[in-house]
Amino acid sequence: MNSFSLADCTSLESALSELKSGAVVKAGGVDLLDRMKNGTDTPTRLVNIRRISELRGIHETSDGLTIGALTTLAEIADDPTIRSQYTILSDACGHAATPHIRNMATIGGNVLQELQCWYFRSAEFQCIRKGKEQCFAFSGLNQYHAIMDYGGCPSVAPSSGAVALLALNGTIELTSAARGKRMVAIKDFYIHPDANPHRFNVKADDEILTAIHIPQPAPGTRSAYQKYGEKESHDWAIADAGILLEMDGDQCKRAVVTMGAASPVVRRSQEAEAVLTGKRITEQTARAAGKAAMTGAMPLSMNAYKVQLFPVAIYRTVLLAAGQMERDPSAAG
Amino acid sequence: MAIHPTEVIPDALMSSSAGASDAASKTVKMPIGIPDFTLREEERIVPDSEPPVLPLNKDLKYIGKPTERWDGRAKATGRARYTADVQLPGMLYAKFVNASVPHAKILSVDTSAAESHPGVKGVHVIEKILGNAVLRNPSLEQSRYPLVRYVGQPVAAVAATSPQAAEDAAAKIKVKYEPLPFVVDMDLAREADAPLVFPGAADQAGTAGGGGSAGGLTQTGNVHGPAVHKVGDAEQAFKESDVVVDAHYTTQVQTHSALETHGVVADWKPEMLTVYASTQGTASVREECAAFFQLPMSKVRVITEYMGGGFGAKFGAGNPGVVAAALSRKTGAPVRLMLDRQEEHLSVGNRPSSDQRLRIGAKKDGTITAIQLISYGTAGCGTGAGCAGPATNLYKWATLHVEENDVFTNAGPAAAFRAPGHPQGAFALEQSIDELAERLNMDLLDLRDRIDENPVRRVQRQIIRESAIWKSRHATPNTDAGPIKRGIGLSQSVWYRHLTMESAAEVRVHKDGSLEVLSAVQDIGSGIKTVLAQILAEQFGVPPAKVEVKVGDTNYPVGPNSGGSVTTASLTPAVRDAAWQASQKFLASIAPSLGTSASDLSLNEGMVRSKSNKFQPMTFRSAAARMNTDQVTAQAKRIPDYDPKKYDTYGGVDVAEVAVDTETGRIHVKHVYAVHDCGRPMNPTQVISQINGGVIQGVSYTLFEHRLLDPNYGIMVNANLDKYKIAGSFEIPKIEVVLTESYIGQSSTDASGIGEAAGIISAGAAIANAFYNATGVRIRQLPMTPAVVLAALNKPKPQMEAL
Amino acid sequence: MTGNEPPSDRHSDRSANSTTAKKLTRRGFLKGAGITAASTALIEGVQGFQQEALAATPEHVKEYGPEAAPVTLHINGREHTVRIEPRTTLAEALRVELGMTGTKISCDRGVCSSCTVWLDKMPVNSCMTLAVDAVDHQITTIEGLSVDNEVHPLQEAFVRHDAMQCGFCTPGMVMSSAALLERNPHPSEADVRMAVSGNLCRCGTYPKIFAAVLDVSSHQATKA
Repeated sequence: MNSFSLADCTSLESALSELKSGAVVKAGGVDLLDRMKNGTDTPTRLVNIRRISELRGIHETSDGLTIGALTTLAEIADDPTIRSQYTILSDACGHAATPHIRNMATIGGNVLQELQCWYFRSAEFQCIRKGKEQCFAFSGLNQYHAIMDYGGCPSVAPSSGAVALLALNGTIELTSAARGKRMVAIKDFYIHPDANPHRFNVKADDEILTAIHIPQPAPGTRSAYQKYGEKESHDWAIADAGILLEMDGDQCKRAVVTMGAASPVVRRSQEAEAVLTGKRITEQTARAAGKAAMTGAMPLSMNAYKVQLFPVAIYRTVLLAAGQMERDPSAAG
Repeated sequence: MAIHPTEVIPDALMSSSAGASDAASKTVKMPIGIPDFTLREEERIVPDSEPPVLPLNKDLKYIGKPTERWDGRAKATGRARYTADVQLPGMLYAKFVNASVPHAKILSVDTSAAESHPGVKGVHVIEKILGNAVLRNPSLEQSRYPLVRYVGQPVAAVAATSPQAAEDAAAKIKVKYEPLPFVVDMDLAREADAPLVFPGAADQAGTAGGGGSAGGLTQTGNVHGPAVHKVGDAEQAFKESDVVVDAHYTTQVQTHSALETHGVVADWKPEMLTVYASTQGTASVREECAAFFQLPMSKVRVITEYMGGGFGAKFGAGNPGVVAAALSRKTGAPVRLMLDRQEEHLSVGNRPSSDQRLRIGAKKDGTITAIQLISYGTAGCGTGAGCAGPATNLYKWATLHVEENDVFTNAGPAAAFRAPGHPQGAFALEQSIDELAERLNMDLLDLRDRIDENPVRRVQRQIIRESAIWKSRHATPNTDAGPIKRGIGLSQSVWYRHLTMESAAEVRVHKDGSLEVLSAVQDIGSGIKTVLAQILAEQFGVPPAKVEVKVGDTNYPVGPNSGGSVTTASLTPAVRDAAWQASQKFLASIAPSLGTSASDLSLNEGMVRSKSNKFQPMTFRSAAARMNTDQVTAQAKRIPDYDPKKYDTYGGVDVAEVAVDTETGRIHVKHVYAVHDCGRPMNPTQVISQINGGVIQGVSYTLFEHRLLDPNYGIMVNANLDKYKIAGSFEIPKIEVVLTESYIGQSSTDASGIGEAAGIISAGAAIANAFYNATGVRIRQLPMTPAVVLAALNKPKPQMEAL
Repeated sequence: MTGNEPPSDRHSDRSANSTTAKKLTRRGFLKGAGITAASTALIEGVQGFQQEALAATPEHVKEYGPEAAPVTLHINGREHTVRIEPRTTLAEALRVELGMTGTKISCDRGVCSSCTVWLDKMPVNSCMTLAVDAVDHQITTIEGLSVDNEVHPLQEAFVRHDAMQCGFCTPGMVMSSAALLERNPHPSEADVRMAVSGNLCRCGTYPKIFAAVLDVSSHQATKA
């Protein structure tokens, strides 16, 4: 890891003013230190926001939840309100990485994690996302890469939290010293590689991700998230599914189907949602939704199996959300 | 039974001299076989100096009994000091600079910026690289620096006052390369116009753990070999067979991934080079340091108090060892050089891949008429990818045709890895044997009873036949409806009785009744310290925890390098001999003060007795106070096996139960029933721990692990522990271990090893056979990831050709 | 396949970065710093930057580094002052500066958990925690688990069940599972598997680790 100076801030105001002169924000530090140890990132100035207590905590509001950016994944996974009403989010946070990392990693950091691609994360490869021309994955090893909507970069969205937040229609709160607060819907937060290969999200350099707002789900909402890897103890997703169902009796009034490991930006599958909407949730409809979600899939040389895997992840998670199936033993522990 | 041709067993591993003894000898009756199954007695002629025959485990107090790990408390409390933990006054931290290209000539190494970096005390540019295969004709390459043959090959190193200064300075070393064409894919490397990894024939020597290849083989392009082993006319035998099973198997490269990386702390002083090393062989480190620096062996001391896993990759000083020593010599300070995780994956060994075409011919009654194995494997820029051990040594065949080829690629050299060649070979062989049974419409165990001559495995199969798990097996494949299918399969394994006579120990009895045992042997986690304590405990009748065990230091009598499952089999007889001799000297030293002669005295179960009832029995401790000297000592070295003409193999039979999720392609190993042989189990607790470990490592190899090199740049893309995937807590099956306690009448302890035979060999085939039982589909490729499983399940099923 | 140029070579003098990086604007530099810039440009940037930063330091900010400076850590009930750079991880501070080597470093990326310590009783990866982030927290290491030289019941159980082979992962396994018992004195096997799901053991001792933890939970509640 390179040498750096660090401003250890205890108030948001101080952190924002430190950031004014430009620097890299560190919260839990898990993803940032990983990249710094790999030598892909070499910031010489860190603004440490980890001690800012005002950015921590889960607050119920009149119309939903506000989660401070520094709330850890473990705190979210264990929160009784989130577990009962925003199950998809506790599922996603509770199955990310390892128990220890969940104790350290924050929801803000989870949402801001950089891409999962072993070329991107290696200092030896200067790729399109690092300001160069080339992508190494298309002609290289791509078994864990994207299968749809990847444009010039088939990396996969790394944040399981974002898969849940997209389904929950969450909003990211960004704060800067110069412009104060602004809200960005999670669906507008990430930048597709073809829109701008050098930026992963709309957060400006002088902004800090301060909170996440989630609207109260409609009555009758049930939700779930499952992540599939090659193993159940700590693995990256090869397929994952976030499912949110607004139920009216046994009819699904509205469905949201989200995926992370399919594409560089977390995505909703309107095709899958259309299959579920207005239907009774059965294994048959759930399977049909899974299949529909693969509309437009264009697997790479080594990852056609993911096109087979995602529909399974989706149908099983639909059934889990609907209470018709137990948590899958093939999904992350 | 012969060892297959390319498995190089270094001389040090083999019983060197024949015959039990030329000195005075005696005839003893020894237990042979397996209690409750095949137990009987046989006579052996043994040297007079040998201790009395050790009774069966059931008649002993400490040996053979579940015994707490001698250093367990030190490990559980964090007090155990590993090489990585060694801190010496003034110690410097060293960091390697590694090649970033897979094949190149180094034109220059500019160290000036690094040398002036604050805190830097020394820089070393490597002029001789260790570990890679070596050109038979070195003049084919003229270069000031060693040719780079893989990404991650060390080029230089920096020693500085802090790890951070060393890291910063290492980044300032500028290496200028002249890139050369390279190849990392084995299939491409076999092509006629492939870039050459070596400009001529090259060989890699084996280590005390095995690996390497026979010298003098032909080399065509990158293909080193074949090593040919032919017995009889296999082609003719195939023609005369009733059934021929013909299949193609591939396995991946696995890295050892010990949790403690390779490394040393080297302390070069004018009077002595002291090396603290994370090694499986203190002797091997001393030998390599002495040879490399042309020092007398007596001027090199190697210390390994604790070591954090090796699995075959940690023999000799290696590049970290000699570079740290060179930096220590240069700086006059102790130098610590521990590899980081990426370096550990790249540069210090791996299990080679394999590509095997296996044909087995048989008669209707199952008799094997011919086995033919043509294998290719890449050990990177090393050799040792042969995998014909199981095909050659597991079953009786009438004719044999084996050709093993190493394919050089621009990747880090392989090293011995737990049962070299055997997991690969058994993965193929044991699936084909199952297939043969199906074609012959024979029971899987009945067929093996017919073709397997090993008496222990015969008993093991009987145990399996009667086990609940085997009885619950579906008779026909693909029985379960629904997406989750259950299946049960088995595989056998074979390993060999390797020994080294370079196994010695000293036993000391002090006047206060305290006991010490000393040997240079290192405890690599298999628990030899505990076993040594048990042997003294049995001899002197004191609890093992009261015995002081001093190992892992070349200042003590020579100890075996721990590879090939040699340690327990080689060292324990020497220790028992030394303990016995010390006990006799002890009795002689107390006899005068007790007014009797040594021949009147006995020491049993901790009590000293007079045969002529000259005194009341007294405890060992109170008797020790009567010693006429402060300390008695005895040293003993391993003598050859009592009946070395008899060549023993070991093995086991493992049954795996899997639940296959046919939609996600995930194979869950639910239960492994592991029946194993390690001769006389010295400490069943630790034997079971090792078998658990072998099974788990085998599951991990079978389902997850895969070293991935980018084909276009030769860079390993998963040189970490998150994308190089190792079984974790959720992937651990229920493991039931059954030990077949077997006596072979070969030494004063009659102990054998378990490290290799402990499950790693058979896990792959047992899981694959269970997968077949679950789904009716064969997988002949490792690792069995969801991608591989789904592809196999998607394929239209071939019609089985019935006999 | 053959003769490709390496995608980058950090140790090669063929790097073109040094010249391009010097031409970057300040904003470009800050963006570029997250990619790979040559050291010369970075050093210029740091100097310019520090002057600015010092001028603007507000009240709620504590400055560290880049040079080493004394930092006080509360470890196992005692205060220790170490001179460290901000980039020093807690694992490095414990091992290198304080000689507390029971905490191991193996993957150095937070995925093997050999480096597990507790921050305020919460198990974390000390290799992915900056030492300065541990200031004002109570740090418990494997050395501190045994109170008054009394070995923790879980450590005794690890010995009794032979829940170790080479032992390198053992301190981390103990710290992870002892933290579980602090939260939940009577865990199920699934709870144990979850608690150590980030701990890797290459020797394969897991079955005995599960047994050891369940043994403690069935015999006694752990010390508060």
